[in-house]
Amino acid sequence: MSIALDQVTKRYQDLSVVNDVSLAIEQGEFLVLLGPSGSGKSTLLRAIAGLVEIDHGRIALHGRDVSGVSARDRGVGFVFQHYALFRHMSVADNVEFALRVRRMRAADRRERRNELLRLVALEGLEDRLPGQLSGGQQQRVAVARALAHRPEVLLLDEPFGALDAKIREELRRTIRQIQRDLGITTILVTHDQDEAFAMADRIGVMHQGRLLEVGAPAELYARPATRFVATFLGAANLLLAYRSPNELRFERPADGRLAPREVVAVIRPEEIILADDEAPEDMTRVGRGVVEELQFAGATARIRIRMPAGGPVPATPDRVTEDGSWMLDALRTFPQQRTEPLAVGQPVEVAARRMHLLPTPISSFTVVAPDEAAAAQLAGTPLLATIATRMQCRINRRIGSDGTPPPGLPVLAARPGAAAEAQGYLQRGATQLLVLPGSATPPARIVILPGTRSRAAALAVSASLLRHFPAQSVLLAVHDPATSERDRGACLRQLLDVRSAALAEHGLDLRTEIRFGSVDEELDRELAVDPNTMLVLGLDSLDGGALIGIARLLEGAGARPVMFVRTAVADR
Amino acid sequence: MARGRFHQASPLPGFGLTLGFTTFFLSAVVLLPLAALVVRASGIPLTDLFDILLDERAIASYRLSFGAAFLAAGINVVFGFIVAWSLVRYDFPGRRLLDAMIDLPFALPTAVSGIALATVFSPNGWLGLKLAEAGVQVAYTWVGVVVALVLIGLPFVVRSVQPALIEVRRDLEDAAESLGAGGWHVFRRIILPTVLPALSTGFTLAFARGIGEYGSVVFISGNLPFKTEITPLLIVIKLEQYDYDGAAALGFFMLAMSFVMLLAINLVQGWGQRRLGLAGAR
Repeated sequence: MSIALDQVTKRYQDLSVVNDVSLAIEQGEFLVLLGPSGSGKSTLLRAIAGLVEIDHGRIALHGRDVSGVSARDRGVGFVFQHYALFRHMSVADNVEFALRVRRMRAADRRERRNELLRLVALEGLEDRLPGQLSGGQQQRVAVARALAHRPEVLLLDEPFGALDAKIREELRRTIRQIQRDLGITTILVTHDQDEAFAMADRIGVMHQGRLLEVGAPAELYARPATRFVATFLGAANLLLAYRSPNELRFERPADGRLAPREVVAVIRPEEIILADDEAPEDMTRVGRGVVEELQFAGATARIRIRMPAGGPVPATPDRVTEDGSWMLDALRTFPQQRTEPLAVGQPVEVAARRMHLLPTPISSFTVVAPDEAAAAQLAGTPLLATIATRMQCRINRRIGSDGTPPPGLPVLAARPGAAAEAQGYLQRGATQLLVLPGSATPPARIVILPGTRSRAAALAVSASLLRHFPAQSVLLAVHDPATSERDRGACLRQLLDVRSAALAEHGLDLRTEIRFGSVDEELDRELAVDPNTMLVLGLDSLDGGALIGIARLLEGAGARPVMFVRTAVADR
Repeated sequence: MARGRFHQASPLPGFGLTLGFTTFFLSAVVLLPLAALVVRASGIPLTDLFDILLDERAIASYRLSFGAAFLAAGINVVFGFIVAWSLVRYDFPGRRLLDAMIDLPFALPTAVSGIALATVFSPNGWLGLKLAEAGVQVAYTWVGVVVALVLIGLPFVVRSVQPALIEVRRDLEDAAESLGAGGWHVFRRIILPTVLPALSTGFTLAFARGIGEYGSVVFISGNLPFKTEITPLLIVIKLEQYDYDGAAALGFFMLAMSFVMLLAINLVQGWGQRRLGLAGAR
């Protein structure tokens, strides 16, 4: 293991810019950290270099814990976006800087410098000043300088950001080549997905301080686990789909039936098939739409298709227009467009050649309320609005109730009777349910009491939530106070096992708390730590008054946001 | 081509206009009065001129004026750098207030600063009392002159160095650190070379101001002939005695000396920068 990050966290004031990041990078691997600006990727890189102190966690380079070691003693090579060359020194002096600091003999220094300049193809420019070089050449000098002291790790912070497209391409190749030749473990930070695809052995996608997913480029592209990665890494259409045991459909089922499981389908634009009349048989039909926009893009043509209201719906709220219709992205190759041309305004049959179902446990929210005003108020609760925006989730509304659970995740207002209503939906098949006090804000803390049979589901939902806002998360286990000393050890080990499972499966890092006492009391104690706490509760059984016991959390003045999770009965 | 050498292409018109204005303005405000001084001084017979300039009292005053100005500028370079550094690099309560206070010596009538200094440093003043106990006398000695000039010159150094320090990107220090350089090394090899031009500009400004300073010095120096009498004061004394020849001669001499020294400093600066710039060409 060349670089090992364990629960690395960096806060500025109260904001976690890097939040619980754990990652292992193999010797000689080229990892690209990809994310939008402000996602914490540069801060993480600087933390690895020792240029930023971390607040929590451990960083190990080649098995050596360097968390408390200063940047100068970590022996990493760092390349900055704006080169950071010493402008008053020649190219030679810049490259030799690290060697001079290490008091290497002049002759050896010169030899190493020449070797490095040959590596970056800058021989003969030793005597120039940085100001006399082009941007691309300056960045080459910066790379040579960073490699001079034979670091075991090379870190590049948006190294091509300030260069134009052609030089960027060329330098990408040079750096990849050098990296392969030297076999040096490398992390490159960028916001450019093309760059990530072109260079990475593995890509790690960061968003809001969290490392969402890590994987080989093709793998991440084909099978993303989160909406964010699906849409950030290339273009994607995200549609709500309904899965029953033997089929997958895009049409929303009529209310009243026992709802099939709602899932999120990712369809890449290049997997969309457009036909004049009927879609080919082996494809999944999406629906019928109208060509809205044709964009020539060289080898391909980008096509936007307006899908009418009433048919399939997108999983993300942003593409829907006021009349309920929405836009679907498709891509055709130039030859295809030449042989079967499409024109703006033409109606087309839309089908999907291949799609990927996101494993995300939350597909959409449905607020359930007795009237429109209450529904609007519930949908506008800061916590729900924030989660939905960050997750890019739709919030549907259902007025009144026939007792059957709505598709998606039902959301109820905390009020008298909420416990009974929630219990009803859960008994009739809802696998998750959220009860919100009217003023609930995004929580600073999430307490997870995962249950036994419902543990996996509860952790999955927690992971999904925690990916989207920075909150401290506590995994709570409450055991009988009569537990013997010896069994207590087993309880603790069990809890730690759950924690490592959460880490392995969801990349979710949790603090753990083990208590021996009454569940109600310990839960209240844990929730009292911070008034802005949300509870994720795994339900093992819905017998009798399972929810009535915690009605105080759902109905009274002390109501908290509570997410119920239970294992689906039928379809898993 | 010959025109192109001087005429920087610019989207704004008015090269002729601005250069014309510059020439006129410099002539009217700077050159003409100085020329008048030179003309007035050149009317003095050469033997008289030498008598005035080489008078022992005058020579003692040159030594004090130029020496104290040089020393004060040197002190200011060190402390001004530290002040600028703490203002640029650290955020602390009252930073903006302190930042604003730096300019006070610019704004205050110099006589006021002089009187204030004299009050504090006089043998029975707050600081003077303590210093006298330690056997150091500041007021009415050359040390007092230096103290006054330090006060007057500080803003020049701080204000020249501040923007240059802001320019030293954090990146550069981070880069040096990641390459294994320690704090002192980073300071000497990276920060200092980068701000050196600004630092020497600050020195020159503080020095120039120190040579010409009058108001703040006369109150603290005690004005003892041969000991704590600065040249500008000597000029004023000559004027008060209606010795216009003497005043003009001394004024002319100061002008010439200042010009020569500033020119020398500028040349050294240019040479230093070229040398630093090509430091790697070995």
